[in-house]
Amino acid sequence: MQRYIIKRFLLMIPTLLGVAVFIFLLMRVIPGDVVELRLTSEGGFVTEEVLAMERARLGLDKPLWQQFVNWIWGIVRLDFGTSMWTGRPISHEIGIRLQLSLEVAILATVVAILIAIPLGTLAALKQDTWVDYAVRVFSIAGLSMPSFWLGILIILFLLIYFQWVPPMIYTPIWVDPWANLSQIVWPAVAVGYRYSAVSTRMMRSSTLEVLREDYVRTARAKGLWEKVVITRHAMKNALLPVITVIGLEFAFLIGGLVVTEQVFNLNGLGKLFVQSIAQRDYTMTQALVLLVAVTFVLVNFVIDILYGWLDPRIHYQ
Amino acid sequence: MKVRTWSRQSRSVGAVCAAVFVLALLAAPAALAQGQYQPQYGGTLDFAVPKDPPSFDGHRENTFALIHPVAPHYSLLLKFDQWNYPTIVGDVAESWKISKDGKTYTFKIRKGIKFHDGSTLTARDVKATYDKIIFPPEGVVSVRKGSYLMVTSVKAPDARTVVFRLKWAAPSLLANLASPWNFIYKADILAKDPHWYEKNINGTGPFKFAEYVPGSHWIGKKNEDYFVKGRPYLDGYRAIFIKSSSARVAAVRGGRALIEFRGFPPSSRDDLVNALQDKIRVQSGPWLCYLSVAINNEKKPFNDVRVRKALSLALDRWEASETLSKIAIIKPVGGVMRPGSEFGATKAELTGLVGYGKDIKAARKEARRLLKEAGVPEGFKFTFKNRDLPMPYEPMGIWLIDQWRQIGLNVTHKIEEKGPYFSDRKKGNFQTIMDYSCDFMDEPDLQLYKYLSSGKSGANYSRYEDPVLDELYVKQSRAKSAKERRELIRQFERRLLNEKVYTFPTLWWFKINPHWDKVKGWNQLPSHYLNQDLRDVWLAK
Amino acid sequence: MGASQTRVETAAAVGRRVPTGLPMWLQAVVRFARQKPLGAWGAAVVVVMVLVAIGADYLAPYDPLKTRYHLMMQAPGAKFWLGTDTYGRDILSRIIYGSRTALLVGFSASIFGATVGAIMGVMSAYFGGKTDLVIQRVMDVLLSFPLIVLALAVVAVLGTGVENVIIAIAVPMVPRCARVVRASALAIRETPYVEAARAMGFSHMRIMFRHMLPNVVAPYLIMLTAFLGQAILLEASLSFLGLGVTEPTAAWGLMLKGAAVEFAERAPWMSIFPGLAISAAVFGFNLFGDSLRDVLDPKLRTS
Repeated sequence: MQRYIIKRFLLMIPTLLGVAVFIFLLMRVIPGDVVELRLTSEGGFVTEEVLAMERARLGLDKPLWQQFVNWIWGIVRLDFGTSMWTGRPISHEIGIRLQLSLEVAILATVVAILIAIPLGTLAALKQDTWVDYAVRVFSIAGLSMPSFWLGILIILFLLIYFQWVPPMIYTPIWVDPWANLSQIVWPAVAVGYRYSAVSTRMMRSSTLEVLREDYVRTARAKGLWEKVVITRHAMKNALLPVITVIGLEFAFLIGGLVVTEQVFNLNGLGKLFVQSIAQRDYTMTQALVLLVAVTFVLVNFVIDILYGWLDPRIHYQ
Repeated sequence: MKVRTWSRQSRSVGAVCAAVFVLALLAAPAALAQGQYQPQYGGTLDFAVPKDPPSFDGHRENTFALIHPVAPHYSLLLKFDQWNYPTIVGDVAESWKISKDGKTYTFKIRKGIKFHDGSTLTARDVKATYDKIIFPPEGVVSVRKGSYLMVTSVKAPDARTVVFRLKWAAPSLLANLASPWNFIYKADILAKDPHWYEKNINGTGPFKFAEYVPGSHWIGKKNEDYFVKGRPYLDGYRAIFIKSSSARVAAVRGGRALIEFRGFPPSSRDDLVNALQDKIRVQSGPWLCYLSVAINNEKKPFNDVRVRKALSLALDRWEASETLSKIAIIKPVGGVMRPGSEFGATKAELTGLVGYGKDIKAARKEARRLLKEAGVPEGFKFTFKNRDLPMPYEPMGIWLIDQWRQIGLNVTHKIEEKGPYFSDRKKGNFQTIMDYSCDFMDEPDLQLYKYLSSGKSGANYSRYEDPVLDELYVKQSRAKSAKERRELIRQFERRLLNEKVYTFPTLWWFKINPHWDKVKGWNQLPSHYLNQDLRDVWLAK
Repeated sequence: MGASQTRVETAAAVGRRVPTGLPMWLQAVVRFARQKPLGAWGAAVVVVMVLVAIGADYLAPYDPLKTRYHLMMQAPGAKFWLGTDTYGRDILSRIIYGSRTALLVGFSASIFGATVGAIMGVMSAYFGGKTDLVIQRVMDVLLSFPLIVLALAVVAVLGTGVENVIIAIAVPMVPRCARVVRASALAIRETPYVEAARAMGFSHMRIMFRHMLPNVVAPYLIMLTAFLGQAILLEASLSFLGLGVTEPTAAWGLMLKGAAVEFAERAPWMSIFPGLAISAAVFGFNLFGDSLRDVLDPKLRTS
């Protein structure tokens, strides 16, 4: 088991390194330059010397490998550098948005779980009845609707029928829970619905599979009350793949809610992502990508460990 | 029986009382009405801003994203009177004198102005500020120093006097000293670190800096020691950064923001008026911005003046003014100067210009003839590059392509992101491209600068050299009378738009500011850079 | 409440109910429709969409690009069944032509992505060892990016426009398909079938193409149909952000952008119909893909 853990851990490193190299090069392939964008974009006229000077100040004139090494060395020491656009420390910039993005992600996950687990189980129990079809249609509809369209509809609904608009400024939940929730609950629902679609289907199919297992049939034959059978034995095993799916999707909720954030005007990491790419802010984009990648890889790692622990072949090594 | 009559004394007292009573009756309604317009103290103004400021230094930025949240922290030397545009009044300057030959400007600085850190403002600070703007030190960017080429020196002979010496008399200097970007900074700070103001705030304005959360909001609080007694009226303000335009409208509609200083499209105005009725007040007016088509004069077949003329002739600007103004923030038809401004062309003068005539059929016929003569085949394909902003770039782009389709040209609309757009425009990597221009005031030196030869003007993206235009520019800049100046500007316009057509404007912008009626004391001006110190703004209860 | 019984009809039982006079393929279709009614509905939606896209020139009442500035934002009526947009263009015609863009982008991107992914997966499984390790790591790197971020980055590099959008959407799909195909291919690699082929000295290419590839067709098709819906959604998101297909092309995501949201209260038809079109199309693809998966390999997990 220990060897398994170490092996899995070591495998994270080349992946992360690969992500680092990939995003580093990708950013520099994109045409356009942060210095030019900042100084000339709104109509200012600056000379080439000034541009060159600003580039040197940001370290853009050094050879590529040196820039890369400086950056990686900083990351290792947990120094994420400063944003090329604002000049402020990246950890500060990300920190401001991380809270909101985390909250939306967690709340969306809660919504998804609240929908997926009961509905998925229900659909499995009533397979091929109209209940099953209704649940499947409901969840596929969630996958099919563009989430930003759903978001637009939600805002319109609030505006037209209640003349009410969610707050535009984020207040942390411990400062003012009402203001916080009245802003966050809507994007959480819009995202959560879509998110639940995948999990519902997963829940349904893994419950179905488990229900067919021998031990379930045995429990039934013993005459135990059906509900006990289902909840105690089936659900526990059915939940495992569902947790996998939820965990993997969660990582992407952190930086991937680009369009939703625009529709609901949330100051989150998705907005920061789009902004930093548009501004050619290399250091910021690189940091954000690494953040998402690390989350994803860590979640994968934890799931691998979990499976390893549950799989007796690995557990007893 | 004694008959009592009013004694003479009491009679006169009575008369006076009666008079006073009558006067009071007459005056009462006026006084009551006055009470409605009597500024009230208190409250926080929430307003929406489309994006964050790139840095906090007004001398190096060009975007409203800086002005709207940051300008209330600073004072200027001179400013525009919001009730009397374009009259200029003093901000930190109390009064000024201009020498007879127009080459020396002497300013008297007010007493008792304090920076937010408590120190006193003196002429030295004004001098240091203008030294930074006009003669920036090594490594410091000053984007508008080109407007001050006529200044030889800025001196502060004593604590309350600032003297500007010029090489030649320039009528535009006073206006340029009222530029909303010329925040007055502290000399001591600039001496230690000229970059300090890019990331920090310390000014003499009506509001002190309180908080900035990037991507979210900017808060300013009332400056209790502001040098204008009784101002500001507000307790503070909050600039909320809202990127999506529909979210901004929703914010105003829901009362989360009371005003947005740039402008809303006509549809949003209608939505707000319908939803909020008389809680909303709409201020509309001309805007000192316009869209133009930049043509790459170095690329075939656009190096042929006939082709360029045809492109301008094809456009039915008058019809666009009517139709596009229903869905976009563009409307007035104008030439190189804003229509309706002192030096703007009159309607009669405009219709005489190529592409501005009323008979569009004849114009398009002529355009086709010119194209044929220049050897451009029917269905000729070329690309028009455009910014990726929906308002008003997208509708104008779609309209342009449609108009050119009507003279047999097959144009591809290529929309570019910010980075590639600015890069392509600067490098000449285009055949035709959408261009735009926004200024803070009606001043030919500012507006015409764009059309100078490429070698002289950093704002000329159409890549041409024309010494005639350059000469006309210098002449109008030093003109002795407004009449002379006007005539020279008309000559400039004719050369550019009739003879050479290197590039041409399409429509000017139209500013629509719907806001909650309780926001008082803000008068819309033709530029969204002006009048943003929020000094006179108050909230009615 | 009795124990729920899964009603599984044997293929034979279903087969007995199909009229025997029909050709083989039609019998298969009818059998599929009977067994999986939801899937049949999905397939019907897909077929309708394809037909509409092909016949757009005949079906659309107006030119989708023609602007009519005097008839902007007309409500749905006799002349314009679904109303007009802010430039006076007929919305119905734009939706019909928009299906072309959606299908073009959807099919191209998913075929491109799934095929490249499948090849990667097969190569990875077949060669094993170092090749497998390297390809796996590369795929892992690509997988660590959220879909939209990767697409954004590709668009930033290549620029906007239909071709670039197709590439931008295909790229995130490659690693997902590679993963699934690799799992299947690994199973096949161990069979004596392939061992025999190696022993007989067949070339790598021949074995991979002739023997392994046909056996991963099932997961490949499933991934392909799963991607179709995703691709259409991704294109809509990119266009909504202004980074996808550009004006004046008729594309559903583009129709939802900007003006549709601004005028949403006054002219709701501008945002409702394109949104419905997207949802309906993706819905159909998802239903069909789902049922296809159930039929081809119920054990297959696509996480």
